[in-house]
Amino acid sequence: MASFLRTLIPLDIYGGMKLTGKYFGKVLREANRARIRTHVVCEYPEVPVKLQPRFRGRLTLLKDEQGEIKCICCLACEKICPTQVITIEKGKKEGRKLPYPVRYDFEMERCIFCEFCVESCGFDSIILNHQFELAAYNREDFSIGMEGRFQNMFELSPVARYSVAEEAQR
Amino acid sequence: MTAMTLTQSFVTALLQIVVLALFVFVAVPVIVFAERKVIGYVQLRLGYTRIAGGLHGVTGGLNRLMWWMGKLPFFSILRGFPSFIADGIKLFTKEDIVPEKADWWVFHFAPAISVVAAFTVLGIVSFSPAPLWTWPAAVPIVGGLPFAGVISDVNVGLLMLVGVASVGVYGIVLGGWASNSKYPLLGGLRSAAQIVSYEVPLTFSLLVPVVLSGTLNFTQMSQYLSGAPIQTSAGPAQMPALAILPLFIGFFIYLTCGFAETNRVPFDLPEAETELVAGFHTEYTGMKFGLFYLAEYANMIIVAAVAAAFFLGGHHFLPFGLQRFIPPSVPVVGGASFGWFLLWMALILFSYLWVRATLPRYRYDQLMHVGWKWLIPLSLANLCLAALVRYFA
Amino acid sequence: MFVFLEFLVFKTEEMEINLGPQHPSTHGVLRVKLRLDGETVVQCTPIIGYLHRGVEKICENKTWFQGQVWTDRMDYVAAVTNNLGWAEGVEKLFGIQVPRRAHYVRTLLAELNRIASHQLWLATHALDIGAMTVFLYCFRDREAILDIFEAFCGARLTTTAFRIGGLREDVPPGMDRMVRNFLKAFSTGIEEYETLLSENRIWKKRTVGVAKLQAKDAVALGITGPVLRAAGVPYDVRKAFPSAAYAEMDFQIATRPEADTYARYLVRLEEMRQSARIVQQCLDGLPEGPVMAKIPKILKSEVCEVYHSIEAPKGELGYYFVGEKGGANPYRMHVRAPSFVNLQALPKMTEGNLLADVIAAIGTLDVVLGEIDR
Ligand code: SF4
Ligand code: SF4
Repeated sequence: MASFLRTLIPLDIYGGMKLTGKYFGKVLREANRARIRTHVVCEYPEVPVKLQPRFRGRLTLLKDEQGEIKCICCLACEKICPTQVITIEKGKKEGRKLPYPVRYDFEMERCIFCEFCVESCGFDSIILNHQFELAAYNREDFSIGMEGRFQNMFELSPVARYSVAEEAQR
Repeated sequence: MTAMTLTQSFVTALLQIVVLALFVFVAVPVIVFAERKVIGYVQLRLGYTRIAGGLHGVTGGLNRLMWWMGKLPFFSILRGFPSFIADGIKLFTKEDIVPEKADWWVFHFAPAISVVAAFTVLGIVSFSPAPLWTWPAAVPIVGGLPFAGVISDVNVGLLMLVGVASVGVYGIVLGGWASNSKYPLLGGLRSAAQIVSYEVPLTFSLLVPVVLSGTLNFTQMSQYLSGAPIQTSAGPAQMPALAILPLFIGFFIYLTCGFAETNRVPFDLPEAETELVAGFHTEYTGMKFGLFYLAEYANMIIVAAVAAAFFLGGHHFLPFGLQRFIPPSVPVVGGASFGWFLLWMALILFSYLWVRATLPRYRYDQLMHVGWKWLIPLSLANLCLAALVRYFA
Repeated sequence: MFVFLEFLVFKTEEMEINLGPQHPSTHGVLRVKLRLDGETVVQCTPIIGYLHRGVEKICENKTWFQGQVWTDRMDYVAAVTNNLGWAEGVEKLFGIQVPRRAHYVRTLLAELNRIASHQLWLATHALDIGAMTVFLYCFRDREAILDIFEAFCGARLTTTAFRIGGLREDVPPGMDRMVRNFLKAFSTGIEEYETLLSENRIWKKRTVGVAKLQAKDAVALGITGPVLRAAGVPYDVRKAFPSAAYAEMDFQIATRPEADTYARYLVRLEEMRQSARIVQQCLDGLPEGPVMAKIPKILKSEVCEVYHSIEAPKGELGYYFVGEKGGANPYRMHVRAPSFVNLQALPKMTEGNLLADVIAAIGTLDVVLGEIDR
């Protein structure tokens, strides 16, 4: 009898409906207005995403205070990289005692953002920056080098120069 | 009222049909929009808030506008509004693919069956007890004539409703069969069995109002069932107070069956997307798919309208014949109006979306189990109850 | 007797149908060949290999350090536990002693990942059965875990969280607060999943008694993880062969005797609760000290072989390494992927049931195709 009544009177369904109804009302009231929001979406292009300090984004070469490239071509990063996306050519530059990377190529399409390269570099000359908008229309745009048509390793790549968040704020 | 000439009645009906079609064509996108918004809100999302096209051009402008709308109290709910139009454009311009091995005629005919059945039924739904407006005398042909809230007030309204509505299932079954593909076939077969078996309790639960009111006419029934005292040809009448009970139970049975009839969660087996990809309309694209879509939502409107008319007080404020407690002299809530009808319809439609957001889906055999072992006996018992009430009161 | 009347009987035909590889509820690219009689499954053959990347072979060509990044991409919803297995396996091979603090942090992250993985399972399983809202509620809580991973190691899914010998860096400041906030939100979150599902009649109808797998069959097939525990076998690698800091933790193995889909659901919910308990204990008892052992810059192995298994969210995840003399990379590497083994139970669970139960069975096995195909 009890089970018959339980089947007849849908209390279980009522509980679920109450919960979803509660959230519906809350979001309806607070959508975009309350300071603490019930809804969990971030409205990404308009509102920039908050990243954690350790976020692993795109590889960047660092320069020291004099504007010199810090990298001294020890090739540690090239060796450790699991996907072999870094290609370095050792060279010389006038007025610089330490070796100078004539070529530092980075194939971003294959990079898996593991940060092994940064870890292995004993000279703190590369970091993974906080860039994550890395989509591009052309395959070549992913080949990032120090010079040439497709930008270099120091600034934002042409790929990431278009940031939706910035655009929205303008 | 003076008798209409043939031309006049013809033109009036035509105008009514146009208005009704417009109503459906507006209401369906609104329901779709509401569906996405309601389910979004339930799931702690915002539903859609932008349209494709990034931040440039016309779409960009709209996107910016919607971003600002989000900061305003009421307008934040309306974000994403251009998607009405976008959805329509998409459906109309999408490539129309007919599978090579499909049965061409049946494949094209099936969506039409669904839509025609749904629209025909809408024709006998009485949206308003009084004429919505009277044409000014200056209008040619129909000048001075009222514009009624129902296209055709047939005296076997309910019978026709149940009969024609069940024709719609042919669209689904044939569509599933004609696609010549396995998932649609399974979907179509499921829907045939489902709709046939749920038709029974649905009709039984609709018989409760019939038994209570003693008529099949849509308008008379809804007036009688509101509980308010009315004038009939046989003198003044009022629904007995006890009738609230069978009406109340009948409403829940009707709503459950209505969910099953319109293939909505938790009975959306014909198109269970996690099992059958998209069920009977897997192979349909473009506007043919759009017609199925339209029929489904039009059916939802019908179920909501019937529930509002028979169980939720017709064109009155209080449901289940509770209107008897409000004397007709009270302003607004005392009288009958189009607004109350729409309000109750909207609430039922909201419950559709709410349920969809909450409940899982039945399995095929369990659905039959629920239908045959629970709903049919329950609705039969309820019918007996109604008959007893009618007999003794 | 009435053979001569056979012509009166409807001739029926069995229908062959492909569930997948592109199907909304095969969780990736699983293909299941079904032979249906009406809607009843007569025969069910899972076909795999659509996501094969040769992880094991690749790892044989990568150094002991590098191989870890491939483990992220096997069970991509539980990358941290995969990392844990790899790191501990290699440490076992080289006999490296990991500091106690590192063990605790590893345990904490692995348990968080177990919660995340189970949440994703619940989300997709409920979605398969038609309950849409649980999906988003689970993802809401899972988001906090992914944020914690991002704070700890900079990535949300492909974490590469650990290093051979410990951790790369100590936990960031503020992570403690994040984890505590998560635990608080999670305790209400799990109540909500239960409100929506546990008592719901439709959920119960779809899961109770569906896709049964008795303990005898489960053991014979080598099933591990929640699927085995829901059949009443209390086997959990965390208790049986404790690694990391599990030996110091106080938790129970969740088991149920019913061996059906509903039991698996309850077992996983209980496991989430127990994981939350472990996380709490790790957080409260986090010892001070270094997080990295002293290890040589290049690891060179002797001739040896090692099998190390941990309890991944899906079951027993084992890493088998063979080292050669002076090898900077594994000579042979093999993964015992729990999803791969568990998937074998699918025909046993579904044959004779309805089509909709196949969906529930795939969901309840909690397979991740990245791990099956490797
Ligand atoms: S992040 Fe990893 S994959 Fe990318 S360049 Fe560095 S080492 Fe190579
Ligand atoms: S490890 Fe650092 S210094 Fe060495 S080559 Fe790479 S970037 Fe240059």
